[in-house]
Amino acid sequence: MVAALLVALPFLGAFLIPLVGMGSKRIAYSIPAIVLLADLGIALSLLPQALRAPIVVSISGWAPPLSINLYVGPLGLGLAILISLLGFLVAVYGMGYIHAEPKEKYHMLVLTLITGAIGMVLTGDIFNLFVFFEILSLSSYALTGYNRDRTGTEAAVKYLIQGSIGSAFILIGIALLYGALGTLNMADLAARITAGDPMTMFLALSFLLVGFGIEAAISPLNAWLPDAHSSAPSSVSAILSGIAIETGAYAVARIVYTVFPGQGIMFVLAIIGIVTLLMGEMAAFHQHDDVKRMLAYSSIGQMGLIVFAFGMASQAGAFAALFQLVSHTLAKGLLFLAVGYMIYRVGSRRISAFAGLGRRMPMTGTMVAIAVLSLIGVPPFTGFMSKLAVVRAGLMQHSAVYTGMVVLVLVATMIEVGYLLRFLQVLFFAVPETDEVAELPLSAALPIAILAALIIAIGIYPQMITGLLHQAAAGLVERAAYIKSVLGAL
Amino acid sequence: MNAGDPMVYAGAVGLILIGLFTVITRRNLIKIIIGLTLLDGGVNLLLVAVGYIQGRTAPIITPAHPDTARMVDPIPQALVLTAIVIGLGVTALGLGLAIRVYGHYNTLDTRKIRGLKW
Repeated sequence: MVAALLVALPFLGAFLIPLVGMGSKRIAYSIPAIVLLADLGIALSLLPQALRAPIVVSISGWAPPLSINLYVGPLGLGLAILISLLGFLVAVYGMGYIHAEPKEKYHMLVLTLITGAIGMVLTGDIFNLFVFFEILSLSSYALTGYNRDRTGTEAAVKYLIQGSIGSAFILIGIALLYGALGTLNMADLAARITAGDPMTMFLALSFLLVGFGIEAAISPLNAWLPDAHSSAPSSVSAILSGIAIETGAYAVARIVYTVFPGQGIMFVLAIIGIVTLLMGEMAAFHQHDDVKRMLAYSSIGQMGLIVFAFGMASQAGAFAALFQLVSHTLAKGLLFLAVGYMIYRVGSRRISAFAGLGRRMPMTGTMVAIAVLSLIGVPPFTGFMSKLAVVRAGLMQHSAVYTGMVVLVLVATMIEVGYLLRFLQVLFFAVPETDEVAELPLSAALPIAILAALIIAIGIYPQMITGLLHQAAAGLVERAAYIKSVLGAL
Repeated sequence: MNAGDPMVYAGAVGLILIGLFTVITRRNLIKIIIGLTLLDGGVNLLLVAVGYIQGRTAPIITPAHPDTARMVDPIPQALVLTAIVIGLGVTALGLGLAIRVYGHYNTLDTRKIRGLKW
């Protein structure tokens, strides 16, 4: 039952904030960090047990498929660790970074967003997945518009409209599945899926993929992302880019791997991934002006790479996708957090305003350089190991089509090199426009330094997480084991 | 399982299509949000229709009616209740944001709201 705390704690914390806030604001604002650190601790302590055998928690005492169950396997728990880690770091950062009132609502919404994200990766019930997805989405719509400025409000409305269409599509998919198979438990669905009418199943799969695809920013469903990620406060951008879209990708992977067997759709997914990758990177290359928009487009590209790797339909592909997901979360989280304070210091999002800032803020500049080089895939950083895994998995398919796609991945990397090195050049080698700029306060420097340390540590010693990721990938690919571990508890 | 009236399904699909059409073609933010609620309504109707069984009653067990065989499937109704609440939250947030957009731009016409690319 301890595993249920992973979801319950952040949710409880969210509603404690206004209550505690009546007494002491300072304590109230530190609740997210405390709660998420506790979550991280619980998740890490459950890890050895989950690696031996997945923990299946049934709510209300009935056995699955009658009850809603949490499925705490290597995949879900690994992602929960990643989410609570980044969430904790962003919460620490947010204590100093967020100045606009109402701060209480900001901290509440961050916690509900993370509740939704952790719930999504742990749940074993498809309707529960939808509910947690909605908790995540509603919080992110509200957080996108948190600054109340023109662009933030507009981006939030856009995000809300497109996201709601996605949610409706997911619900249609669920209705079709329930109508055909009479169950909502994902393991039970997976066990019965072959009994369903192929046409209905294909329709349901399409609706679910489009719905979650909007959140995962798969091309051409990602029109909301550049606006939302660039207009939101930078700490929120870090969460949206590092957590929200990744959970969308997780949902897509869980649905295509576990619930619906069949190789046909996977190949389509690989192609969509490559298209997303190229479009995202090219759009990022064209952003000469707005640094956050450039990073947002780069997130689209990275999601494309992750979806491409998932589309290989092999264990090596799933492993590469998860590895790439981890390295993207670390690097993009760091970049949005660091760039957020740089924007705050120079008072502009224009790349030209960052001229020489890396020399004025040497510590922050170095961290940004680490994250940028990791995104490109330069050794010895995490990004190199994960991109290498994607390329290896692509070549292991032994098919000319996949080899061609791997070549396109390398082309996209070259585009990435182009715009990211241009950014680094402005940051370090342009003539500074500003005089002395203060370094970061501790509440911002600490999370950024931890992320940078992780990028280097995992890059040099990938065995730290590859064991977990291999098991997570196996958990995704081996459907029979998933079904047995949930329904076998009967 | 599928014993619902075809008319109900047609109505649900019709509502979904009207909702999508409204969201895509209208240029007024309020009308777009009305389109979203129509879309939601259609999906909810679809969910209820999936669980409906011809000639049965509401799934409420009382001492006078303990026989579950004469009731419709309760799960879709529970799902719809949840979905309605979620839809309400999204609509309220959307309308709130629309008010703020109006405050910034003095219009609800998405063609004239041009801070970002639509």
